[in-house]
Amino acid sequence: MKLNTKDLISAALLIGFAVVALWLNTDHTLGTARRMGPGYMPMLAFWLLLGLGVIVLLLGLVNGPDPIERWTGAEIGFLLAGAVAGVAAGMAAAGMSGWVAAGWNPLGIGLFVGCMVVSVVKSWRPLFLISAAFSLFGLILEPLGLMLAIGLSVILSAFADETHTPKGVAGLVVFLCALCWAVFIYELDIRVPVWPQF
Amino acid sequence: MDLFANLAHGFSVALTLNNLLFCFIGCIIGTAIGVLPGIGPVATISLLLPITFGQPATTAIIMLAGIYYGAQYGGSTTAILLNLPGEVSSVVTTLEGYKMARRGRAGAALTVAALGSFFAGSVATILVAASGPLLTQVALSFGPADYFSLMLLGLVISAVLAQGSVVKSIGMVVFGVSLGMVGTDVQTGQQRFTFGIPELSDGVGFVSIAMGMFGIAEIILNLERPEARSVMSGKVGSLMMTREEFRRAVPAVLRGTTVGSLLGILPGGGAALSSFGSYMMERKVSRGRHEFGNGAIEGVAGPEAANNAASQTSFIPLLTLGIPANAVMALMVGALIIQGIQPGPRMVEAQPDLFWGLIASMWIGNLMLLVINLPMIGMWVKLLAVPYRYMYPSIMVFCAIGVYSLQNNVFDVYQTVVFGIFGYLCSKLRLEAAPMLIGFVLGPMMEEHLRRAMLLSRGDPMVFVERPISAVMLGIAAVALIAMLMPNVRKGKDAALAEGG
Repeated sequence: MKLNTKDLISAALLIGFAVVALWLNTDHTLGTARRMGPGYMPMLAFWLLLGLGVIVLLLGLVNGPDPIERWTGAEIGFLLAGAVAGVAAGMAAAGMSGWVAAGWNPLGIGLFVGCMVVSVVKSWRPLFLISAAFSLFGLILEPLGLMLAIGLSVILSAFADETHTPKGVAGLVVFLCALCWAVFIYELDIRVPVWPQF
Repeated sequence: MDLFANLAHGFSVALTLNNLLFCFIGCIIGTAIGVLPGIGPVATISLLLPITFGQPATTAIIMLAGIYYGAQYGGSTTAILLNLPGEVSSVVTTLEGYKMARRGRAGAALTVAALGSFFAGSVATILVAASGPLLTQVALSFGPADYFSLMLLGLVISAVLAQGSVVKSIGMVVFGVSLGMVGTDVQTGQQRFTFGIPELSDGVGFVSIAMGMFGIAEIILNLERPEARSVMSGKVGSLMMTREEFRRAVPAVLRGTTVGSLLGILPGGGAALSSFGSYMMERKVSRGRHEFGNGAIEGVAGPEAANNAASQTSFIPLLTLGIPANAVMALMVGALIIQGIQPGPRMVEAQPDLFWGLIASMWIGNLMLLVINLPMIGMWVKLLAVPYRYMYPSIMVFCAIGVYSLQNNVFDVYQTVVFGIFGYLCSKLRLEAAPMLIGFVLGPMMEEHLRRAMLLSRGDPMVFVERPISAVMLGIAAVALIAMLMPNVRKGKDAALAEGG
């Protein structure tokens, strides 16, 4: 047996998705082959996906070895902690009143908190700090405006690369603010608040 | 002749000031991202999609096309001078091009790459113009069953030609098709898999998927790798080719153009595959084959001509059949649909400005690129001095603003974050994102055609094998799949892709 770990995980992903989707698809009428209902094509696609997942799984049992990089305890721990913290923060935000519960803010808060917790571990930083900075941008864009959103998310993302210097980051923020103002506000005139709204 | 009248019309569209300007912008951006490793045409085009919405459809497509073929020009520059492929399609150019630079013939290599690309681009433009209306005529006789089979063929080939395991690639195609099912069912209006989220009733955001999986995921992967950029060694030297070099380059360019044009049309083909195909061919048949490995000019001329020809002929299936041949073309479909144009055989007649204007602009763009590239090589190389730590926050911010401005909704921003993380996971698991994107675009169209075909045939699935066109498509798809099951064919492909990147 030569296990191909990457293929096995891929197979689990495909099979898991197909099974959940097939279950969700029971809500939709299938119809007949002649008059297909909304559920017919999804059913075909998901069964095919399930079948392919099983093939990948079977092939993955023999065509390895192709191990993935082993995660350290801290990496696994903080990944789980991040998931829990993210869900908890999102739920808590949705339960509160005011700005934090409005619109998609709970989702954004959940994503941001979750990603920030995981990025405590250094090796996760490129992935989760960029994701956190991206979520942060979405969170503060509407209340605080474009300029602050650019500034704060760039500063946060800068921690993902250790070669950054404070001066360089400051210059980058100024440059990007000017560029984005010229392109998106002056030239394209997109409807987005530029400065904080009070 | 009709063709000339149409082309004249195309030039009158492409030569308007606005279109010229955006063609130029597209070419400049294309060259820049071609030079810079770490950001490719797919990421850039998805990044710039939102910016084009304010423009008319023709202008938007002209600019996006300029980015794609511009990247092929730019990619060769760094490949030759720094042994650093700016794009996947110029990986093979490094093999001979850098050797030529080491011998002091960098100038000649750059010239032959640019001139060869220009020649190939011109030929491919004519090919698109000539084959467009012809293929459209054929396509108009297609029934729903034929369309369904054609799309199926496109999906199969794009999966077969993708890197790595074929089964996994097909899995990703079907995964893309499944994602395409999210949203309102067109015929009954029922909400499918939307979980009551109003933002999902139009389907999962196409731009979010593209930006997340190609833009954000790419940044993250680049950040994890340590930066390896060499400084330019030696001088560019004279841009002139010697008579001998010229004589050797001409047949290579001709062969490269042919290979590139053919492989470009193929679903799943495109620039990267064709430059590799051409390199393999030159190594076998060219007069200078004994020099390969020491800087043979054929090894630069052929692949560079091929990748440029392919980047243009890959528009043929899109413009005539509405079927994207690769991930970049899938983005073009997205751009057209957002502009309210349904890609398909009726486009040539319904949107003559777009079709002929785009073709004319390709030729103009190639001419511009020649001017942008050759005399200003030094400037482009300086671009490499910009460290990645300044590039990635910029890309991130542009992604974020772009995706927000689509519908002025932060939901799209969060959706992009999720697809970014998913894209990272996929690349770690060697699941290909490109077939998924093509599946996502084609999925809803396939469902439409499947339903219509089955309605017409009164529920008899035999219609797919009884109609000759459909049967042929399915036959080719089956052959392609079976060929990949044979060990030696698969090994050949793996070796080819491994060497070609």
